[in-house]
Formats: sequence, structure tokens, C-alpha cells
Amino acid sequence: MQLAQKGRPIKLANVNTIKQPNQETSNTKSRLSWLWSEYSVIIAFLVIFIAAAVMNPRFLDMNNQLNILMQVSIIGIVALGMTVVMLSGGIDLSVGSVLVLVGVITVLALNATGSILVAILTALVVGSFAGFLNGLMVAKGRIASFIATLGMMAAARSIALYIAEGGSISGEVSSFTAIANSDLWIFDFPVIIFFAMTALVYILMHKTRFGRYVYALGSNEKAALLSAIRVDRVKMGVYTLVGLLVSVAAIIETSRLNSISSSSSGVQYELDAIAAVIIGGTRMTGGRGKIMGTFFGVLILGILNNMMNLMNVSPHLQGFVKGLIIIIAVVFQKRE
Amino acid sequence: MIVETIIVFPLFLKRRDESAMTTSPFLTMNNIEKAFNGVPVLKKVSLTVAEGEIHALLGENGAGKSTLMNILGGVHQPDNGSIHINGQDVKMSNPRLSQEQGVSFIHQELNVVADLRVYENMFLGSELRNKVGFLKVEEMCRQTNEILVKLGVDINPKEYVRNLETSYKQLIEISKALLHKSKLIIMDEPTTSLAEHEVKRLFELMRNLKKSGVSFIYISHKLKEIKEVCDTYTVLRDGELVGTGSIENENLDTITKLMVGKSISQERFVQNHSFGPVVLEVKNLSSQGLYKNVNFTLRKGEILGFTGLAGDGRTELFESLFGYRKKYTGEIKIKNQLVKIDHPRKAVRAGLGLVPKDRKENAIIKDLSVIHNMSLSSIGHFEKSGFIQDRQEREKFYYYKDKLNIKVHNPRITIDKLSGGNQQKVIIAKWLEVDTDIIIFDNPTQGIDVGAKQEIYQQIVSLAEQGKAVIILSSEAPEVQKICHHIYVMYQGEITARFKGEQATEDEIMSYATGSKREADKIG
Repeated sequence: MQLAQKGRPIKLANVNTIKQPNQETSNTKSRLSWLWSEYSVIIAFLVIFIAAAVMNPRFLDMNNQLNILMQVSIIGIVALGMTVVMLSGGIDLSVGSVLVLVGVITVLALNATGSILVAILTALVVGSFAGFLNGLMVAKGRIASFIATLGMMAAARSIALYIAEGGSISGEVSSFTAIANSDLWIFDFPVIIFFAMTALVYILMHKTRFGRYVYALGSNEKAALLSAIRVDRVKMGVYTLVGLLVSVAAIIETSRLNSISSSSSGVQYELDAIAAVIIGGTRMTGGRGKIMGTFFGVLILGILNNMMNLMNVSPHLQGFVKGLIIIIAVVFQKRE
Repeated sequence: MIVETIIVFPLFLKRRDESAMTTSPFLTMNNIEKAFNGVPVLKKVSLTVAEGEIHALLGENGAGKSTLMNILGGVHQPDNGSIHINGQDVKMSNPRLSQEQGVSFIHQELNVVADLRVYENMFLGSELRNKVGFLKVEEMCRQTNEILVKLGVDINPKEYVRNLETSYKQLIEISKALLHKSKLIIMDEPTTSLAEHEVKRLFELMRNLKKSGVSFIYISHKLKEIKEVCDTYTVLRDGELVGTGSIENENLDTITKLMVGKSISQERFVQNHSFGPVVLEVKNLSSQGLYKNVNFTLRKGEILGFTGLAGDGRTELFESLFGYRKKYTGEIKIKNQLVKIDHPRKAVRAGLGLVPKDRKENAIIKDLSVIHNMSLSSIGHFEKSGFIQDRQEREKFYYYKDKLNIKVHNPRITIDKLSGGNQQKVIIAKWLEVDTDIIIFDNPTQGIDVGAKQEIYQQIVSLAEQGKAVIILSSEAPEVQKICHHIYVMYQGEITARFKGEQATEDEIMSYATGSKREADKIG
């Protein structure tokens, strides 16, 4: 899959022209369909981007563009993790709740110690641990990922609400806000972190054995096991990785406003992340999909949100448009 | 045994017109051409099937048989050429149209839904309903029963399909074809998962249907079966028609030569040579309901064969050995070390490799590329500081591509695009790269054409000559006779006989495999 992305239609074309010079048309056709199947997300992205630019001149404004990136960075990081779980054939519904729980505990740690480093480490540990528990339930407990993470979703939110007594808690170390509110050249820090995470997850999935095993597991778990892959460990690694990425997102979310609301932060993040992954072309049942697909899926969702805001579409209708786009995206991908 | 009742077929099938049979064929396909992505797979292929004829369609994997049948079944459209049914020019633009023309396609992977009942499967997609729209269950059961009785099959129409033997599932598909009043039934490798007596039952059924005017196109690699049941044949090679005629006038060698383009030896592949030390020793291995008291030893350089009928427990036995099944009692010693294997990973560490049966379910990862399937179990060989080196991986693949003669233009395509034989070679390459001392092959030539079979046999034999210890599990007695030094026969989870490879006869193997002879400690 990931290699097909760099595939070489040219090689095929050469073979054909030697053998069958009269196959030009079907060749062009097959090349077009190859292009579509490999790059449909990017093509969709370009179409939506151009449409947005035509419909509203303010869209192309540099500040607006950077704003979109800033707005998608948190969901983007979560969606990267979601891509990995979905490639492995599972799903993680607990990302939004875990994000809040991590946020709440991070603020507590920050206020208790005054150390940003301790706060960050706490966040990473709590997030990874929640993910690890998910992995344990799925891999060793043989609980369907949907159920296991549904349980975690309810439990994590509940603990967060309990700790924060249902309200928000704010950080008392003001320099903590620098994490999400600084910038480098023109880019905000969260955007840079999102890009960096994208690159890291891409490398992990395409250049390391972990990534290879995730694809194998999602495509055919029994064959993966019979290939002497420690399937259980890979699964636990997958959910732990999601937890880790969620905690990175949680740090950004908390740092941006220097507070986190146990009741309203992170709500429906799992749905937005899943939407981005699906728009990005990853197959629900696993084994097939790309990190870069999710990257563009996230951008597509961001542009849509931005457009609707610029055009004063009622916030109550925005969910409708988003839903529509997700379904259209899936319908188009079915055509392969 | 089943047969007496079947003569009544004309009840629901049009009676065969004696004169029409010889003068007008039921099906004619003329000069069919088809290319995929510019690569031609069928070059002016023609096929004629008379009414009441069983026609063998032969050829190696990738010869174009499936494409031709998919065109007939309305799955693919030909680029050129015409199809006539009963002399009428027809367009099979979708599978439904094809079915309406009386053509039914029974695929190798049976299309029955295990969680539905027999009658529900029979009427799937064409359920009988009353005016309100509710299902007419009793009527469907009655019709199902009628057909089953005529086929001499004793199944309750309300039985769940998951509770039936494989051969019955096949019978359900045939019954379904008859329900739709099919005049031509295409069967793709129908006997691969059937035991001997089930094959007999199928053939009797086919012969009787033939009498009532049903034609068959029979795709198989098993030439003996073809000789037994077919009337005429057509051979394809590389998308071209290379021979057609009546089976009676041909001997099997000629047909085999046509298929592969060269003659294939029927002799034993393996030479007797002296073996090294014992590498694997199994003592009193038992697993509740699967196998019991299994004892054997395997030496370096030796090829052991395990054969028997479906359900003899050999697959489960070696799945235990490989750590896929964890519950067993008894001892496994590898190189004199007592081992407890509870995960395939540990099996590999201990020196075992397994090329499993049912490639699609157990061996290939269909979304991974050919190269990545090859390297899956030995990624460590291609890593440098934790990162996979694409180039080393690719170069290794090309090494095996040459060594095993794997035919693939672009190894970056997903493995499911290759033919069965080439897929199997990739899986073998995967285990050669892992380089374990003992390699177990479960049904290594399942669904593989003659030419590739010979290549795989040669590979296995040369592995043993290089000092590997090999175990072959196969339901085909001639296969183990050909390539094994020693043969174990299993029946209902127990070893019933052990033969020296060159002394075993197929008949004798069969009598131990069917349980008609038992001699637990027979040493040949």
C-alpha cells in the first residue's frame, strides 16, 4: 500500500507499449484511475480549497490560512493516532475523554509542583497509561475495541469531572501558556507540533517494523500471528501510541487557554478524528490507508469549518454540512 | 448410493432433445478477447459446450480460465468476440443476466452463508413472498426438500449451513443452480476441500444431472478426476487456446504437456540419502477431540509426509506444534531440548517454520505488497538502527524471485494480484528468509497449477538436501509419495500407519486413511 503510493505506472506503461502499441487508450484510462485512487484525498482537498477561495476572497488571506492550521492542530494530532488504531482494525472512542482527564491531571501537577516539565511528563504518562489500559483490554482481554474504548470513554470523563468537581480548573503557572501561544517564524507552536507529529507517525508507519506489523494485523490478523508476529504486543503498542498522541493534544489544549473544562473540553473529538481518518481514505476494517490521507482529511475538515464561519452559516447547521461531506467522501472512495 | 432417485429429474428440467445435442451446442463462445490494463489475458479464445456434456477447462493458474468464466458469468465484459446460447447471440452484461440465460457459477470459495438455514441459502435473493410481503417459509422448505430428495441428499432444509460438511455446502450450491433451472453449471476446483467419498458423491451427481441435459464446465488441476468425469476438454495457456477435443482419445501426459508446454515427470522427486541427527521428537502428543498419542521423530535432511482425509487432525496437530493452539499434553523436543511452545514466535525461535494451508486466510496479507509479504517474518534482516531499508528488502526479493521463479512484473503491487502459485512461492520465500531448521508445509500445492507444483516440489526436495528437516501435510496421497522419505497416515486424530516413501501405494495409504486398516506401530 504505502509503496504503491510511490508506485511506478511508467514501468507498466513501458512493458505495454512494447507488447501492445494499440493499448494507448486503456493505458491512459488506467493511469487516470490509478491517479484518482492514489491521490483522491489530495484532489478533493484541492477542489475544496479552490472552491473556498472562489467563494470568499478572505479565505486566501494569510492570517486566515494560518488560523485554519491552528484550529485543526489538536484534532489533527488526535486523528494521527486514530489512523493508526483504525489501520490495525480497531477504533478508539475514548480519545476526547482521555484528553480531558490528561488535561485536568496535568493542571493539577502543574499547580502542585510549579514545574512545566513535571506537568508535561505527567501528561504523557497519564495519556499513555490510559491508552495502555485500552490496549490491555483489547489484546489480552479480547474485548472488541469499540466496547473497551467506549468503557474508557465513560470512565475517563467521569474521573475528570470528579477531580474538577464538574467545572474548569486553571493553571497557576503563567509560562505554561507559552507552549501553545508562541510562534516560530509565521507558524504557531501547535501547528509545528502537528506537522512534526505527522512526520514522526509517517516514519513510524512506513519505515519501521511496528508500522508494517500494524498494517499486517489490520489486514489479516491470523496470517500476521502465523507469521510469528507478536500480535498482542503490537495492539498494545497501537493503543498506547494513541494515548501518547492524545496527551500531546491535551497539553496544547490546556496550554492554549491555561485551563481545561472537565465538562465541555474534548467533547466529540473522537467523532471529528474518525471523520478526518475516513475522509483521508483509511478503511474502517483496517489494513489499508495512509497517514498523509488523514493529514489532508484534517485540512479538509478545517477548511469547511472556516468557510462556514466566514460565510456566517449558522453553527447549528455546520454539523449537517460536515456529515454530508463525510458521507460523500466515503461514497467516492467506494468506487475503487 | 444416492443415485436411484435422480432419474426423475425431468420434473423440473427440460428434457434433453436427443437430436439437438449433437447438432447444436448449448454454449458457444467465439474468439473472446480481453485485456486488463493493456495486458492481454485472453487472445481469441473459443469454447463450445454441448447439452449434457461435462467439459473440462484446463490450464495453469494465470492461463485465463477464470477470466473466460467470469466473462461467461457476466462479471467481466469481453473486448471482442461473441457468446451464443442455444444458437442465440447473448450479451452477459451482468451476473444476473447470465443466470437468466441458465448459467450458474459455483466458485472455489463457496458462496453459502453459514449463519442462514439451508432453504434460506437456496432462495437467497429470490425469496418467495406472499401478497403482504412475508416470506413463504413452508413453500420454500417444500421446494428445497424436493430438490434435495431428488439429489439423494438427506439434509433438513431448516438446518443451519454452518452445521454441515463442506461437501454438503457444495451440494447446496448445486441445488441452488437447479432451483434456478440452470442448464450450464461452472464448477471451479470443486474437489479441493472434499474427502474421497465426497468426491465420489459429487461425480455421481454430475453424471446423473448430465443425463437430464445439464452441462458442466469443470475447472480443476486434478487430471485423474478429469479423466474420470469429463467428456471433453479445452486447454488454455497464456490466454491462448492450445487444444480441445474429447477426453477419451487423449492420455493425461498429452494434456499435461499442452498445459505446461513441456512434459512433466511423474516419478519420485526425492532421493534417499542418509539423514542427520534427530531434530524434532514428538512424544504422546494429545489434544482433546483433535488428535491423540502422536509419536514421531524427524531427522535433519528428512522429508516426512502426513496424509489422511479431511478431519484427520493433522493440521491441528501441527498448529499445536507451531504454537497456534495452546492446549495439548505430551512432549515436544527440538534438538534434544524440551520445549513449550505457546506462540508462533516461540516456535520460530525454537527453529520451526510453517507454510500454512488456505493461503488466503492464513498466509497472505492481501493489503501488503509482494515484497512486504516476503519480508514480514524477518524484518530484522532489513533493518538498520530501527529503520527498514527498502533497497535491501527489494534486492532480497529479487534474489528469491530468481531462485523460486516468481512471476511478477512489479513487486510493489499487493500480493492478492498474483496467481495462487506465485503467492505460494512468495510465502515460501518468506520462510526461507527466516531460515528455520524445520519447515512444515501444510497443503503446499493447494489450488496451484501443475507447472508451479513441480517447482515447489523441487524446492522442497532441495531444502532437505541442504540439510533442512521438512514436514509435508497433504490430503493428496500421490503428493506425499512423490516427495517424502517417510509417510505417516492419520485417521481421526491418530497415526494409523508409517510407510517408507517408495513402498507406499496409494491404495494402501487410502485403506489406512479411511480407517479400514489400522496398525498403529506399522513401520515400513
